[in-house]
Amino acid sequence: MKYPDQFDVIIVGGGHAGTEAALASARIGAKTLLVTQSIETLGQMSCNPAIGGIGKSHLVREIDALGGAMALATDEAGIQFRTLNASKGPAVRALRAQADRSLYKAAIRRMVESQPNLSVFQDSVVDLDIAHDRVHSVRCGIGVEIQAGAVVLTTGTFLGGRIFIGKHSRSGGRAGDSASTTLAQKLRAMPFRVGRLKTGTPPRIDGNTVDYSELQEQPGDDPAPAMSFVGSVGMHPRQVPCHITHTNERTHDIIRKGLKDSPMYSGDIAGVGPRYCPSIEDKVVRFADRPQHQIFIEPEGLDTSELYPNGISTSLPFDVQVAAVKSIKGFENAFVTRAGYAIEYDFFDPRDLEPTLETRAIESLFFAGQINGTTGYEEAASQGLLAGINAARKIAGESQWYPRRHEAYLGVLIDDLTSQGTNEPYRMFTSRAEFRLRLRQDNADMRLSECGRELGVVSDERWLAFSAKREAIQDCKTALRSATALPNDPKSHALERVTGSRIERDMKLYEILKRPEVDAKAIHKSGWLSNISTNVLEQAAIDIKYEGYVARQQKEIDSVNAKERLTIPDGLDYEGIDGLSNELRQKLSENRPRTMASASRIPGITPAALSLIAIHSKRGHHQRKIA
Amino acid sequence: MNETICAVATPLGTGGIGIVRISGPDAQRIGEQVFGRCPPPRRAAFGQFLDGNGEPIDSGIALYFAAPNSFTGEDVLELQGHGGPVVLRLLCERVQELGARLARPGEFTERAFLNDRMDLAQAEAVADLISATTAQAAKASARSLTGEFSREILEIDKEVLDLRVFVEGAIDFAEEEIDFLTEESLVCRADSICTRLQELLRRTELGVSLQQGLQVVIAGAPNVGKSSLLNALLDTERAIVTEVAGTTRDTLEGTIHLDGLPVHLTDTAGMHESDDPIEQVGMNRAREAMDKADLVLWVVDDRETQGNSTLPYEHFVVRNKCDMTNRPHGIVDDRTVRTSATQGEGLDALRQCLKQIAGFQPSDDAFAGRPRHVATLQNALQSANRVVVELKQKSGEVAAEELRSVHKCLGEVVGETTTDDLLGEIFSRFCIGK
Ligand SMILES: Nc1nc2c(ncn2[C@@H]2O[C@H](COP(=O)(O)OP(=O)(O)OP(=O)(O)O)[C@@H](O)[C@H]2O)c(=O)[nH]1
Ligand SMILES: [Mg+2]
Repeated sequence: MKYPDQFDVIIVGGGHAGTEAALASARIGAKTLLVTQSIETLGQMSCNPAIGGIGKSHLVREIDALGGAMALATDEAGIQFRTLNASKGPAVRALRAQADRSLYKAAIRRMVESQPNLSVFQDSVVDLDIAHDRVHSVRCGIGVEIQAGAVVLTTGTFLGGRIFIGKHSRSGGRAGDSASTTLAQKLRAMPFRVGRLKTGTPPRIDGNTVDYSELQEQPGDDPAPAMSFVGSVGMHPRQVPCHITHTNERTHDIIRKGLKDSPMYSGDIAGVGPRYCPSIEDKVVRFADRPQHQIFIEPEGLDTSELYPNGISTSLPFDVQVAAVKSIKGFENAFVTRAGYAIEYDFFDPRDLEPTLETRAIESLFFAGQINGTTGYEEAASQGLLAGINAARKIAGESQWYPRRHEAYLGVLIDDLTSQGTNEPYRMFTSRAEFRLRLRQDNADMRLSECGRELGVVSDERWLAFSAKREAIQDCKTALRSATALPNDPKSHALERVTGSRIERDMKLYEILKRPEVDAKAIHKSGWLSNISTNVLEQAAIDIKYEGYVARQQKEIDSVNAKERLTIPDGLDYEGIDGLSNELRQKLSENRPRTMASASRIPGITPAALSLIAIHSKRGHHQRKIA
Repeated sequence: MNETICAVATPLGTGGIGIVRISGPDAQRIGEQVFGRCPPPRRAAFGQFLDGNGEPIDSGIALYFAAPNSFTGEDVLELQGHGGPVVLRLLCERVQELGARLARPGEFTERAFLNDRMDLAQAEAVADLISATTAQAAKASARSLTGEFSREILEIDKEVLDLRVFVEGAIDFAEEEIDFLTEESLVCRADSICTRLQELLRRTELGVSLQQGLQVVIAGAPNVGKSSLLNALLDTERAIVTEVAGTTRDTLEGTIHLDGLPVHLTDTAGMHESDDPIEQVGMNRAREAMDKADLVLWVVDDRETQGNSTLPYEHFVVRNKCDMTNRPHGIVDDRTVRTSATQGEGLDALRQCLKQIAGFQPSDDAFAGRPRHVATLQNALQSANRVVVELKQKSGEVAAEELRSVHKCLGEVVGETTTDDLLGEIFSRFCIGK
């Protein structure tokens, strides 16, 4: 049976990727349908209830600059906000928020439901109709077929999942969800490479059974910062502190004794776990000399007492889990509400995707989120946003878009995934971004708003706010260029007292701000530019501090851009190129780089190898022209 | 292609005309800055090549080809000088100062192909050439000298990676219980990297100058036996020798090898008071040659009493025609040697002195690096020095950026994108993660 309406874009899945994809596609003006197994779980935080963190808040701010929902929903749901790396430079500062699960879900659901051009339909998608290497419609569980110009699949939550707790294992998705196996089977029959990954969760604890007096309190920032560029403290609900505790030698003994029944050590689990998120048994074994390990206790919400003890993910048998938990300070009488478990699941090799997130094999079919081997809400949401944008542009006949490595963390994410692939759940870190000093969370709007506006995802309201801010910063820089500090001026003396920085000759404030010990606050405290708001002055000061490095990196970027324009034909036969090492041949055949730029990032590549590839690519293009 | 590249296009040490070739968008601007103006396309212009202070480095011909009508299909500038290898090196360095980077082997040809200036057959020949060079380079690196060079670089690279692990770890895992940056050993580690880079740079520079050789100018009054000395050292009748004073009018070059060290000898016109315009031109050339020389051999007739101690150049005195005075040939003091060019006496002593002056010790202290390695290692050292400063200021993210830059430079020297699996290193060393 055919669904009566046709859609431009269908989004399958209502998680963080799915909702951002649907919202973006609809904002652009495409007639969009979101199909989800359960409308109640739209925007569900299925892992720990936190948004942001180092590298991740950078993504959240980029989503925000492109008009996405995640940052605003966090401002509505955040019950604790904390700036990380506050003592380090602005380029690596990050914001992390603890969110109330139900408030977050409610915010997302409201945004989805009030978005023009967007409808939501509840059912599971069991098949895709593909003809002539192009997707035409999706088939739902109740037998209905819905036609669409483009389809975005965001059904990654543990495809073909297998859960392990001690010696027990069963198939299933996220604890509580059923695994979306039917669609997974269909996808397996398509020309995509499939890999398997592993991750884990900690046991959850009833907060009423925890002795808080034994725990170290970790308050949020005061005043709390906003996640969204257009958000404000006024949007935040009541704020609560988080807590920290530690494992101890007794915990470690219990864990060591339980190891023989652990699926990881018995070899039952084959998937590769994330190195940055080892299970507690892994930590105890690999870092045996550490007397304790830190546990962040995250509240799940304001009106629930369940806690997420971040740091003790495990797949040990349930009785070992309970004993280990009770050995921890403050948890002596804790009641475990849900068992921790390890889960193995499938993902589709993202090297089979274009950087636009369209699959290389099937036109108009896009993949976003965990299905591509990533982990994390932020990573998923940003991919969803990108796929939604490109799906909508595709059916409008417009060119595809994606940011580059020097423009956005999203650009780094997309490039890493589609050109190098991954063999562990991919998570963002700032050290993945070679242009980190320009890709800051504070300037995500400066980097992307203009582009977002052109793409049609940035609303008038956001655009006006951004334009005003940009102008204020420009004006502020002009003021800094013209304001001069004189050696004997009282303000100069004040600056000297505040920072120890001496003014020995006439100097422009612009130059003074380049000194490491001088920042925006010091300028204000010394009595200069009191007519300029602190926010604006701070932003200008950050730009000025990194100016030299940003300029130096430009050269590198230019050369990458040039290589970006040199494309490599899809079917280039690396076996046929003399002078390449076997190892390189293999890597190149697997990664199939699209441009010389991405080829040049393959580890072990040499300038000579690049020259050979360039020449043979050119030859490929030649022959194509002749044929 | 965005980068402008340059290279010396004639084999080093062959004498005669040398070309510095420049290709890329900055070629025209560089022409204006080095030559005072960029000549119109395809028209040779004569003039001087100037250094950063506007002082001449050499004089010669500039040729400009506008894109796409050039060998590479890009804007190309050719500077043809008559200077020897040292002058060419100076000119090439000047061009780099102005923004060009040294080309990799085969890069001009590669660009020519990519810009459709070459057909498929030619391109395949280039591809073969590149793969052949790679094979050769692989063989060469198996040899001890090159092997040690890259071994040293890889060792430094390892130290850099170690340090990056701490700095990057501190940034990305701020919530862990280890504050990586407070460790004082970080500054020590950075210092050690600087020291090793400095030493590596010194040895590479030495190696490069060894390959390029020593510029030695033979000068002195007329008729003292300068040309005879050149001939004796070259062991050929290269220069005309007569008993008439003022025989040599123009400069004349020849190269000898002393234990593998190339020594480029230039014979010049005799210096004396003269109104003769031809002789004056000759003497000017002699002065120019002395300006650029690493060393001047000042030849005097042993029958005369004085050497020339007021000569404003780094010089060494050769007292020639000692057969006429019957004084013993050989080393006189650390600045003087006595010879007889016609009898072939004292020449071994002179060679010995030249080697010593070149600072040449027959140890294998020097690395057989290329000039481009020197440039890259200089950049690496500069960044490494910044790392020390930034770490002292606890400015982690800037230190990290400079470390990345050091890492990148070292990768460029060994010619490989090194696996910088930083995250992997961090996870394997520290207990990180929730
Ligand atoms: N007896 C003797 N005669 C020499 C010696 N070296 C050169 N003569 C002679 O000195 C004369 C001048 O030699 P050249 O080599 O032409 O001298 P020069 O310094 O090059 O002279 P100009 O080029 O004219 O400045 C020739 O007749 C040589 O044969 C020497 O060591 N012993
Ligand atoms: Mg002569």
